[in-house]
Amino acid sequence: MKRKIRVTDLLLCLSLLAFVAPGSARRARDPQNSEAARDFKPFLDRVRAYVKMQKTVEASLPTLKPTTDPAQIVEYQQALARKIADARRDALPGDIFTHEATERFRKIIHEAFDRPEGHLARKTMQQDTPFKVVPLHVNDVFNDDVPLTTTPPTLMLMLPELPPGLAYRFVGRDLVLKDIKAELVVDLIPNALP
Amino acid sequence: MPKMRCTGFVCLTALAAVSVSLYAQQPTLPLKPDSVRFAAIGDMGNGGKEQYAVAGQMVGYHGKFPFDFVLMLGDNLIGGKDPVDYQNKFELPYKPLLDAGVKFYAVFGNHDVSNERFYKLFNMNGQQYYTYKKGNVRFFALDSNYMDPQQLTWLEKQLQNSDSDWKICYFHHPLYSSGSFHGSSVELRLLLEPLFTKYGVQIVFAGHEHIYERVKPQNGITYFTEGASGELRKGNLTKTDMTAAGYDQDRTFMLVEIAGNELYFQTISQAGLTVDSGMIERVAKAAGVASWPTVGPAHGVLPRRTLARVTGAGLTHAPTATE
Repeated sequence: MKRKIRVTDLLLCLSLLAFVAPGSARRARDPQNSEAARDFKPFLDRVRAYVKMQKTVEASLPTLKPTTDPAQIVEYQQALARKIADARRDALPGDIFTHEATERFRKIIHEAFDRPEGHLARKTMQQDTPFKVVPLHVNDVFNDDVPLTTTPPTLMLMLPELPPGLAYRFVGRDLVLKDIKAELVVDLIPNALP
Repeated sequence: MPKMRCTGFVCLTALAAVSVSLYAQQPTLPLKPDSVRFAAIGDMGNGGKEQYAVAGQMVGYHGKFPFDFVLMLGDNLIGGKDPVDYQNKFELPYKPLLDAGVKFYAVFGNHDVSNERFYKLFNMNGQQYYTYKKGNVRFFALDSNYMDPQQLTWLEKQLQNSDSDWKICYFHHPLYSSGSFHGSSVELRLLLEPLFTKYGVQIVFAGHEHIYERVKPQNGITYFTEGASGELRKGNLTKTDMTAAGYDQDRTFMLVEIAGNELYFQTISQAGLTVDSGMIERVAKAAGVASWPTVGPAHGVLPRRTLARVTGAGLTHAPTATE
């Protein structure tokens, strides 16, 4: 049994390394990969535009520095969320996850979960989601009572890098682009998980 | 005569209770001069009476083992995050420690929100992940909810640059766990453990699973899960061949002392019983050994080139007054 565990671990490591190192794992991040780069460019342009807007809104608020007053933290997050949602009141799903990027994300996610070690990514997510999932919409604020689902770290190796202040999160089967300062849903891909 | 028997029984029971009480709050740690002393708690922030009871034990022990800081292993604020929650789930239970100047260093759990990093008393300084040094020990506080490539790159650089004798990582999700609710975070392990072994991390603390467990050294690293400092899943520890010691019958917290090449630990229940204790000896890396095997020996067997030797004894069942 012990021997079996070791061999299994070794195989997982090797398959992961083989996946991560030269091939498809880096495709999304590799600017030389013309297909992925082409599909992700409009997405990344829109991400940059969002961050620029986020910074402008932040500049209109008192700077949040580490504080012993939790009210300041809560009020800052609420004010930021309100102002960003107001600035993006006409935002719709797909405004940032463009059609081409959405297809590319779906493909990468399916590949990640279909490969032999994909069950590990699935387990990573399942271990945190024993709670009922409430579907989210653009500009919704995350419910801080609901625990986060861990984003599978091996999947993140394959996705385009995000600037600080944004994160990929799964809520149920949806992939959400999350503003982690405002706790807002920036955009989402419904049923992104296979 | 039956009355006397009854009185005797009461006396014996009282004596046992006093013995337990005296036994409680007796640190087994050596209190060596200039040692690094800290506590570790995880999954505590529910604001329940049990969290307050564990905090009360910590305060009691602080009187005899004056630790300087506390590792918070995530789920610092479970449920609501309103200002009143910061008070009820953190400031009030730990007030005597905060008033005594004890610092708390937090990491995120899956119940936390990222803006907690701006809460000064969590000492995250606005960072999602961070590092700090205490004596000859370098601590790496990681965000296991979101282990993106930027964090992995940062971690490798920080580990590489550290010349501290001891390197201790802590984060929420356990890489090895015999808890039957979540279990081991195997995917995370595949990414983190090669870095830990390559750069000589000796100790890892995690929470998430609402039990206490010490895992037999894996690739030379000792893993602790302390996820029962407020929450508890009674009976959730399914002992495996990697379990060195564990406890799932009551809430717990840990005390740790590092003196030179020795790390002493003591795990204490809400009732004040020591459920595990021991010592881990740091073994200096041999010159020329640049890295460690990423896939190591079978569970429970120390690797040939070990980073640490562990001696310890723990309870794995509910203790009685006589234990």
